[in-house]
Amino acid sequence: MINGSDIPVNFFTCDVAPPRLFTHLSLEASRDFAAIQTVQEVPRGTVLFSEGQAPTAIVMLQSGSARLSVCSSRGERLILRIAKPGELLGLSANVSGKAHEVTAETTIPSQIVFIKRKDFLRFLKEHSDACMQVVQMLSNDVHAAYDRVRAIGMARARHVRN
Amino acid sequence: MLSPYGLEIIESCLTCKLREDRLFCNLSPGAVKDLEAIKYSTAYPKGAVLFVEGQAPRGVFILCKGRTKLSICSSDGKTLILKIAEPGEVLGLSATVSGKPYELTAETLDPCQVNFVKREDFLRYLRDHNEVTLRVAEQLSDKYNTACHEIRSLGLSHSAAEKLAKLLLEWSDKNGGSKTPGRMKLALTHEEIAQMIGTSRETVTRLFADFKKRQIIQLKGSTLTIRNKQALETLVSP
Repeated sequence: MINGSDIPVNFFTCDVAPPRLFTHLSLEASRDFAAIQTVQEVPRGTVLFSEGQAPTAIVMLQSGSARLSVCSSRGERLILRIAKPGELLGLSANVSGKAHEVTAETTIPSQIVFIKRKDFLRFLKEHSDACMQVVQMLSNDVHAAYDRVRAIGMARARHVRN
Repeated sequence: MLSPYGLEIIESCLTCKLREDRLFCNLSPGAVKDLEAIKYSTAYPKGAVLFVEGQAPRGVFILCKGRTKLSICSSDGKTLILKIAEPGEVLGLSATVSGKPYELTAETLDPCQVNFVKREDFLRYLRDHNEVTLRVAEQLSDKYNTACHEIRSLGLSHSAAEKLAKLLLEWSDKNGGSKTPGRMKLALTHEEIAQMIGTSRETVTRLFADFKKRQIIQLKGSTLTIRNKQALETLVSP
């Protein structure tokens, strides 16, 4: 799926997602969050998770960048946006337990933090301040996704081929 | 208690029999009691606008009964229907949490019962009840999922026929548990279906006529029957 033809990037790439590391966590929550992380250096082109894959871990981008995309059954790829350092990736799939709806692939050598899904969910249950921040992050993700729907949907409505 | 719109109003969340079946509402007794204290229950007629895209967020709307159309608009007035919300969904959630304007317009398709919770009350309620915050995270994840699905469908479908075939297959899948999975009531007009797949009303009418001619579907009044599911699937993945 990853090697399908790209749709021009300039129209679809987007930098709207804000920096989003957990901030202002309690000392205890910060300590617990640090305890469940596994840091890893990955090369360019590493697929962190794929569309349709069951969620097993949250990925936090410490440095570098990752391309978030969706694919058609023909293998065509649509880039949603480029994720920046500090972002939590795979959040909605890990929270809902449903398959990943996007593919995340590093665009440059990156440092990432993996947090196993079950550890992450336990962490959220135990720390309401972190849970509230996750809800805010998800709200931003939803807003960014709707912006993309608006841009693509309205552009396509004008150029629909029958 | 009966409302003017023929709705049987659920008077209290504490005694609601539907609570256990609904993701957001199935909360602990303490959380339900606190929700009961901050919500305003209202019955709306068909066609009522709950909130408008671009409006500052006032709060969330918990859909108890009826369906609501969620749509976005372009600056030149084109409408794209993103989703038909079903009972149990919380509307205006991401705007209320983030403080950004509502990103969609919500309009009732049927008479609806809605529980409204003011933004400041809702945010305080979330801070006091971590279990509710987790439910909200799940609902937001679903909304993100829906948006990604829509992006895929709009951005990567090549033709209006493919998009209409996809929509009919989705409706058929949703109807899968019924005795007649390939048969469904069309609750939307051709105009609204066009707004769901980003095309014109004329194209939808023409495609329905074409599908009928090729015996892919049968239309009797508002009842649609899929006669050749495989043909629809071929249109989606040629």
